[in-house]
Amino acid sequence: MKGVVFNILEDMVTEQGGLLMWQKVLDKVGVDGGYTAVATYGDDELFSIVGAVIDELGVPAEEVIGAFGTYMFGQLARRYPVFVDSCDDFFSFLESIDSVIHLEVRKLMTETQLPSIKCTRIGDAQLLMDYSSPRKLCLLAEGLIYGAADHYGNRIKIEHPVCMHKGADHCDLQVSLVNE
Amino acid sequence: MSDEAELYRRAYERERDARKAAEQVVEDTTRELYLKNQKLEESLKQLKDQQRVLVQNEKLAMLGTLAAGIAHEINNPMAFVHANLESLADYLDPYQELVEKQAQALDLPYDQQAAAKEAIAKHIKQADLEFFQEELPDLMSDTREGLERVREIIGNLRTFARTHTQERRSADLVSGIQSTLKLLNSQFRTEVIIQQSLQPLPLVHCNLSELNQVFLNLLVNAGHAVEGRKGATIGIATRADEEKVHIEISDNGCEMSEAVKEQIFVPFFTTKPVGKGTGMGMSIAYGIISDHGGEIEVESQEGVGTKFTITLPIQG
Repeated sequence: MKGVVFNILEDMVTEQGGLLMWQKVLDKVGVDGGYTAVATYGDDELFSIVGAVIDELGVPAEEVIGAFGTYMFGQLARRYPVFVDSCDDFFSFLESIDSVIHLEVRKLMTETQLPSIKCTRIGDAQLLMDYSSPRKLCLLAEGLIYGAADHYGNRIKIEHPVCMHKGADHCDLQVSLVNE
Repeated sequence: MSDEAELYRRAYERERDARKAAEQVVEDTTRELYLKNQKLEESLKQLKDQQRVLVQNEKLAMLGTLAAGIAHEINNPMAFVHANLESLADYLDPYQELVEKQAQALDLPYDQQAAAKEAIAKHIKQADLEFFQEELPDLMSDTREGLERVREIIGNLRTFARTHTQERRSADLVSGIQSTLKLLNSQFRTEVIIQQSLQPLPLVHCNLSELNQVFLNLLVNAGHAVEGRKGATIGIATRADEEKVHIEISDNGCEMSEAVKEQIFVPFFTTKPVGKGTGMGMSIAYGIISDHGGEIEVESQEGVGTKFTITLPIQG
């Protein structure tokens, strides 16, 4: 997993629980916690840290992961404003993940393992995202989508009828715009 | 929070921001490198395509040299084979007439045969058939010899271009050198002395067609180096030790300067006038020898000439 994900997790935890909480999490997992955005670290290390954060906060895992996704979108948008600036609306942004963002990530990190994301529009107010990744981080993806919707000023609802955690080979994320 | 803790917090945030800035620099530089690399890869591909075209041109140029030589070699025997057949055709009618006259004479009554014999003798004299009779064996053997030479040239050409594939097999380099020399015969002819010192070589695991191309190239270059020189001599020698074979191609032509020697195997380098050499011949030769795990070296001395030594592993 990219170091930037660790950095953003650290930012979120320190923002919400202080440096002390982050240090406790690191001590619990048994890592020194020096991460740089441009390096790659083991997936297991991230999952252990996320697990420790969940324990520390005492909230359900889905909630923490979803919140992390939303927070992560904001941080990524701040670090890489060009990706959000180049899309006029929320659905166009989702569609650009595979064709633009992932392409740029590959330029920076050749050894990267990216999830496969395919978007299909269903009418004006609905988009079906086909997500698949050996990491099965569909909940994080949901959080990121919520974060993106916030950024573009949309209220949305996500349904998740097909899921890799339920034995499917991919996840279907049905993203619908909700009228205020 | 104590003052000191506050200072540490600010220091932590400062360092974190500095790290992010540094990461941004790394990412920007990486992106630039990626784009430059992409451009370089494109240029490399273009260069490779151009090189492929040049290699092809060099092969065509060599083919042209060969074709001219072969045309000359085949032209001579074909000319006298043709002339001999023309003579044969000229004598065909009188011969047929003679056979007819003799057949008719055999059917005549005895008292008319003397006259018929006289007519036959007259025909033989008129058509000069006695002379033709004498000439016929030579005519036939010359024709056969001419056709034999053409057959030999085609055989040499076959040896020269035995394999067009990348395949390597055990081959006799001496026969390859000999067939290459024969194909170049017309180019050297009388004004160049070819000194052959070809010791038998063990079979070498190689692509003979490629190696023949190298021999041809070196021999043609040697030919150019001795052009117009008195006592022009090209030497070709082979010898073998336990693991390697050595082929030397030398000439007593104009020697090379140090600068030329240094660049001789560099692609596009040529001492020939613009439009004459592609400058790829020696670099292709170098590439072929290297591919075979061998070496090609050049020595050149003033007043002595130039010598190329090819060393090839027997096992390939």
